[in-house]
Amino acid sequence: MKRALLVMVLFAAGCASRETDPQTYDNNDVELAVGNAARMSCSCLFVMKMPSDFCAAWVKASPNVAKFNIDIEKKVVEATALIDWGARAHYVDDRRGCILE
Amino acid sequence: MTFRSVVLLAALSPLGALAAECVPAAFLGYSWPSKTKQTEGAKKAEIAALEEYAFTLTGTDDERKGIRTDGMVIIKGGEIIYEKYARGWDEFKPHLSWSVAKSVSSALTGVAAQQGLLKLEDSICEYLPNQSDATCKITVHQLIQFSSGIDWQEEYENSTYQVSSVIAMLFGEGHRDMLSFITRHRSFAEPGTKWRYSTAEATVLAAVAKAALAKKYGAADWAWSGLFDVLGMRGVYLEEDKLGTPMGGSHVFATPRDYARFGYLYLRDGCWNGKRVLPEGWVASSTTPSTPFIMTAGENEKTPSGWMWWLNKAAGPAKEKPWKDAPDDAYSAIGHWGQYVVVVPSADVVIVRTGDDRDSGISLAQLIPLALAVAK
Repeated sequence: MKRALLVMVLFAAGCASRETDPQTYDNNDVELAVGNAARMSCSCLFVMKMPSDFCAAWVKASPNVAKFNIDIEKKVVEATALIDWGARAHYVDDRRGCILE
Repeated sequence: MTFRSVVLLAALSPLGALAAECVPAAFLGYSWPSKTKQTEGAKKAEIAALEEYAFTLTGTDDERKGIRTDGMVIIKGGEIIYEKYARGWDEFKPHLSWSVAKSVSSALTGVAAQQGLLKLEDSICEYLPNQSDATCKITVHQLIQFSSGIDWQEEYENSTYQVSSVIAMLFGEGHRDMLSFITRHRSFAEPGTKWRYSTAEATVLAAVAKAALAKKYGAADWAWSGLFDVLGMRGVYLEEDKLGTPMGGSHVFATPRDYARFGYLYLRDGCWNGKRVLPEGWVASSTTPSTPFIMTAGENEKTPSGWMWWLNKAAGPAKEKPWKDAPDDAYSAIGHWGQYVVVVPSADVVIVRTGDDRDSGISLAQLIPLALAVAK
C-alpha cells in the first residue's frame, strides 16, 4: 500500500514538474544554425542589399558550421552543414522579402 | 486658418468638437525637407558629443563588441535635422527592425480599428478561424498588451537554443506555419491576467491585422495600402512564413527615414497629412503602461510597456523611469541589437537609430539626451 502511494506521489510530482518545466523543441543546434544562415543571408543580400562579405559576418552564429551556396541571379540561398542538414531561402518580392522554405 | 488659431479653437471649444481632428502640421511628402547642413553649422559640439558616443567603433566585425551604429536620423518639426550612416549603410538600404516590428504590428491593428475592420474586444478567432477553444478566449486587446497567457519563452542567441520559442519559430520547427506553432503552446495564465513579453503575441497580432485589412485591400496590399504607402514609406519589407503569416514580431525591414516616418505618425497623434490614420486616443493608449504590465511585470523587466511600445515612465517594478535624463513623455519602439524609433512629443522630435550591437549595446538613457541636444 505504501509502495503504491509512493508511486502515485512520484507520478503526480513528475506531472507537476512537466507543467512548469520549460518547453523544449524538436530542433538540434545544427538544424537551427542552417535555418538561421539561409534565412538571414537571403534577407541580408536581397532585402538589405548589403555586400556578401558583410552578410557572411552578419549571419555568423554558433555553432558556425553553415556552408553557403548562393545564387545571386535567382536570389536563392542554400545553407548546409555536416552531412544531413540543409535549409533554403528564396527572395519572393519587394514587399515580402525572403521566405525560409 | 493658421496653426495657432486651430489649436486655440480646439482648446476653447466647449464640446471639444475639434479634439478628434488632426492638428495641421508639417506633412512629409516623398521628398523630405532637410536642414542637416544648418545643424552641422550650429551644433558642432553637440554633434561631436553624439557621434563620439554613438559612432565610435571599438572593435572589429569578428569581435562584434561595443556600440556599432549603422544609421541615425533625427527629425524635428517635420524636418531632417541630422542624418548619418556608417559601416556600409546608407539612406536607401532597408535595415532589419527585429522587435521594432512589434510596434508596427500594433499600428497596423490601429489602422484596421480606425477603418472599422477590427474591434479590440473581439476574440482573435473573429479573424483567425479554426482555432482551439483556449485560443479563442484571447482578445485582440490582450494580445496588444502582451497578456495572452501563451507560455512563450522569449530567449535569444545567448541562451540554449532548445528552450527558445523564438528561434524554434523563426529557424526551426515553427518556421513553415508560425501561427499553428504559436497556438499549440500551453497557457501559463488566463488571458488578460499576466504580462509577458513575447514575439508570439506580435506575430499573432500581425496575422489578425492582416486578416482584417485584407478584407479591404487584399492579402498582397494590406499593410502597404493601409499604412506604409500612406506614410510614404517606400522601402518597407514585411517578411512572412510559407502560409502568409506576417513576421510581425521581428522581420520588418525599412530605411531609417522610413522608420522616422513611422515615428512621426505617432508624434502627430496618429494623423497624416490632416487625416486620421490611427483612431483618436490610440497613441495615448499605446503610450500608457498597460494594466497587465503594472500588475504583473516581473523584476526582470524594468521598462514599462504600453501597446507594444516602451515608455519612460516610473511605472515598472523599479519605480523609476528607465531613461533617467530623457523627458518623461519619451517612448520608443525597441528592437534586438539596438534598433530604436524614439518619439519625444515635448521636444517635437523623432530619433531613429539602427545598429548591430551584439553585446552590451547602446544606452537609450544616454542616447536620447545627446540627440535632443542636437535638436534643441
